Amino acid sequence: MVLAILASAWVCLPSAYVLAAPRLPTDQAEVLERLPMRPGDATARELTGLRAAVTRAAQEATTDTLPATQLAQRYFDLAVARGDPRYVGYADAVITPFAQSQAPSLLAVRGQLQQYRHEFEGALADFANALKVDPKFASGHAWRGAIFLVQANYPAAKTECDALQALGRNTLTGGCIGLVHAYGGQMEAGFAALERALDGTQNAGNRLWLLTRLGEVAAWRGQVAKAEQYYRDALALGQDDGYLLAAWSDFLLDQKRPAEVVKWLANWDASDGLLLRLALAETNLKLPSAKAHVRALGDRFAAARMRGDTTHRAEEARYELQLAGNAAAALVVAAANYRVQREPRDARALLEAAIAAGDAGAAQPVRAWLESSGFEDAHLRQLGVISAQVKPVADAKVTTPPNTKPELRP
Amino acid sequence: MTLLRVLLCILLASFASPAMAHKASDSYLVLSVKGQEVSGQWDIALRDIDFAIGLDANGDGELTWGEVSARHADITAWALGRLNVQRGGDCVLQVVEHLVDNHTDGAYAVLRLRGSCPSSTQALALNYRLLFDLDALHRGLLRLELDGVSHSAVLAPDTGVLKVQAGETSRLAQFGQYLVEGIWHIWIGFDHILFLLSLLLPAVLVHEARRWTGVGSFRAALTEVLWVVTAFTVAHSITLTLATLQIVSLPSRLVESAIAASVVLAAANNLWPMVERRRWLVAFSFGLIHGFGFASVLTELGLPKDALVLSLLGFNLGVETGQLAIVAGFLPLAYLLRNTALYRKGVFVGGSCFTLLVALVWLVERAFNLKLISA
Repeated sequence: MVLAILASAWVCLPSAYVLAAPRLPTDQAEVLERLPMRPGDATARELTGLRAAVTRAAQEATTDTLPATQLAQRYFDLAVARGDPRYVGYADAVITPFAQSQAPSLLAVRGQLQQYRHEFEGALADFANALKVDPKFASGHAWRGAIFLVQANYPAAKTECDALQALGRNTLTGGCIGLVHAYGGQMEAGFAALERALDGTQNAGNRLWLLTRLGEVAAWRGQVAKAEQYYRDALALGQDDGYLLAAWSDFLLDQKRPAEVVKWLANWDASDGLLLRLALAETNLKLPSAKAHVRALGDRFAAARMRGDTTHRAEEARYELQLAGNAAAALVVAAANYRVQREPRDARALLEAAIAAGDAGAAQPVRAWLESSGFEDAHLRQLGVISAQVKPVADAKVTTPPNTKPELRP
Repeated sequence: MTLLRVLLCILLASFASPAMAHKASDSYLVLSVKGQEVSGQWDIALRDIDFAIGLDANGDGELTWGEVSARHADITAWALGRLNVQRGGDCVLQVVEHLVDNHTDGAYAVLRLRGSCPSSTQALALNYRLLFDLDALHRGLLRLELDGVSHSAVLAPDTGVLKVQAGETSRLAQFGQYLVEGIWHIWIGFDHILFLLSLLLPAVLVHEARRWTGVGSFRAALTEVLWVVTAFTVAHSITLTLATLQIVSLPSRLVESAIAASVVLAAANNLWPMVERRRWLVAFSFGLIHGFGFASVLTELGLPKDALVLSLLGFNLGVETGQLAIVAGFLPLAYLLRNTALYRKGVFVGGSCFTLLVALVWLVERAFNLKLISA
C-alpha cells in the first residue's frame, strides 16, 4: 500500500482550502453549474450510444474491445478539442478492464492517454506493440515521432519520419522531418521541409499546424516579419486553436507587444497555458485585471500540485519566475520539467530560471543539448552562454524580483 | 482529427475553449477522527456527480439548486457507498448537512459528515472508491486529522486504500489539549474566579471585635489560602468526576443558579461575617456545586472514551493550574496591601459589594432564564 504523504502538500493546501466558503443557497432556481453539454446535444447523444455499446459488450461478456476503444477514442478527441482533462480520465476508465488486450486500436488509444500523462515510455511501448500487429498504422509512427521529439531524441524521431515516408504519408513526413531538422540544428532544411509540406496540403487543420510551426521556426531564426506573416495566415483560417494562440502570444510578448496579447486572449482564461500569457501581458501593462488572473493561476497550479499533476510544469515555471517572482521555485519546477520534456520552450524556461536564480549548474543539461543538437536560435544560445556565467544570487528564494537581470562575472 | 495534428496533441493538453477553468477531477475530503468520533467535510464537483448519477433533471445543461437538492438522498447514498472508514470495525458515517461551494473548476456539493467508530484507539483504515470506475484520473485529496495528528494523501485507483496508525504521541497530545481547556475555562469562568476571590479576600485579614485588621504573618495568610483552595479543589474534583462518569447528574439550570448563589453568599459573608474560622468548609461545600459546572463544560467538549481518565485528569489539572495562577497573583499583592485603607475599604468591601451585585444579577438571570448582562 502506498501512502502518498505529500510533504509539500501542506504548503499549498491553504490556497485551495481557503477559497472554500460553503454556503446554503436559498433560491431553488439558482444555477450552480453549467454542464459541458446537454443530454440532447449531438455529441452527448453520440456518447450515450457508444456507452450503451460498451455496456452491452460487458453484459454479453465478449472479449470485443471495439466498443470500448471507440468510446475511449471519442473521449480523448473531446479532451483535446476542448482542453478538458476530465475526458482523459473517462477514456482511461473505459479501457481499464482491457489491460491485457493487445488489440492495436486499443493499444493506440492507451498510448495516447499515457503520452497525455507524460508517461512516455509506456506510450512508446504501446505504439510499438500496435505497429507490430499493424505495420501500416501511420499514426503509431507519428505519435512515436512526436514523443521522441519531446524527448530530444532526434535520431529515433528520424526513424519514425522515415517509416512515415515509406508509407507514402507525405504531409506527415514533412511535419515530422521538418521538426527533426529544426530542433536538430538544421533550421533551414527544417524550414524548407515544413514549407514543402504546406504547399502539398489543402487541409485547413494541417495548414494551420504547419503555419504555426513555420511561425515558430522563423521566430527562432530571428525573421520577425516572416514569423508574423505565418502566424497571421494561421489565424486567418479562423479556427480556434490553443497551441497557435500560445505560440502567437509568446511571439508578441517577445516583441514587447503585450497589448495585442490582451486583445487576442481576452476570452481564453479557461486554459492555464493561455491564462499564463494573458496574465504576463496584463502584468506588463500594469492592468488592474492582472492581479486576479495571477491569483487564479496560482490557485490552479496549487490545485494541480495537490493532486500530483505535473503536466503543466513549463508554464508553472514561467508563472513562478515572471509572475510570482520566485526564481528558486521556478528553477525546481523547470528542472523537473526538463527531465521529462526537452523542447526548445522547456529549454528556455530552465535557462531563464537558472539565470534568475544564479545557478549555473542547473542549466547544464540545456547547454549540453544546445551543444549536441546545434539548435540555431540565437537568443536561446545567448541565454545558454549567460547561464554558464551567473553567480549565485544571495537568498534567491525571496528576494529575486521578476525578470531579474543576470549578474555577470567580470 | 486530422492525422497531422497527432504531432501536436502532446502540446495541446493544456489548452481549452473559453469557459471555466478545466482541470482533472478531484474531490476534497477533510476528516477529523478523535477517538470514536468522526467529523468532516467532503467536496465533490457537481459535474462529477452529474456524470455518475445524473442531476440535470430537465436536460437544459444547467444544474440548479433545486435539481441538486432534490437528489440529496441519492448523492448521500452514492458518495457514502464509495467511502469506508474503519477503526476497530466500520465507522457509521452520515451526511448531516448539504451545502455548496466553488473551487477553481466550478461548483461543488459540500457534504458535512459525522459518524462514530467502534474503537477509539486502533489504526484507521480508509477505502476510497469514488468515481474511479468512471474516471481513472479522479483523485481524492485527503486531509486527515487522527487524534490531533495531521496526515494528507492523494487517493488514486491504486492508492485508494490506506491505513494510518494512531500516533504514539496522541495520548500525550490529548492530555495536553484537555489541560489547556481546563486552564482556559477557569480563566473565562468569571463565576468561579469571583467565588474563589471572595473566599480569598479575607485571608490576609483577621476579624476581631467587629473590625478587620491585617493578618500578622504571611504564613498565616498562606495557610488560610491553602486550606480554602485545597478544599475547593477536592470538592469540585469529586463532583466533576462523578458527573463526567455520569454517576450523578443535575439539571444545568439548577447547577448554574447554585453557582451564582454560592458567589452571592461568599461575597455577603465578607460584608456581614457569619462564617469566619472555617472558610474552607464553605469552599468545600460550594466547591461541590462548581464541580458540576466544570463537568458540563467537559461534556460539551466531548471526552474520548478510551482516554477518559487521562482527559479528566488533564482538565482537572488545568483548572487547578489556572486557579494557582490566580492565587499566585493575588496573595503577595493582597498581603502587602492588607493594612491599607485601599485594600480594606476599596478592595475588600468594594470588591465584595461589586461581586455581590454581579452574582445577584447572575442568580436572577439563571434562575429565571433571563438575559440581563453577559458573563
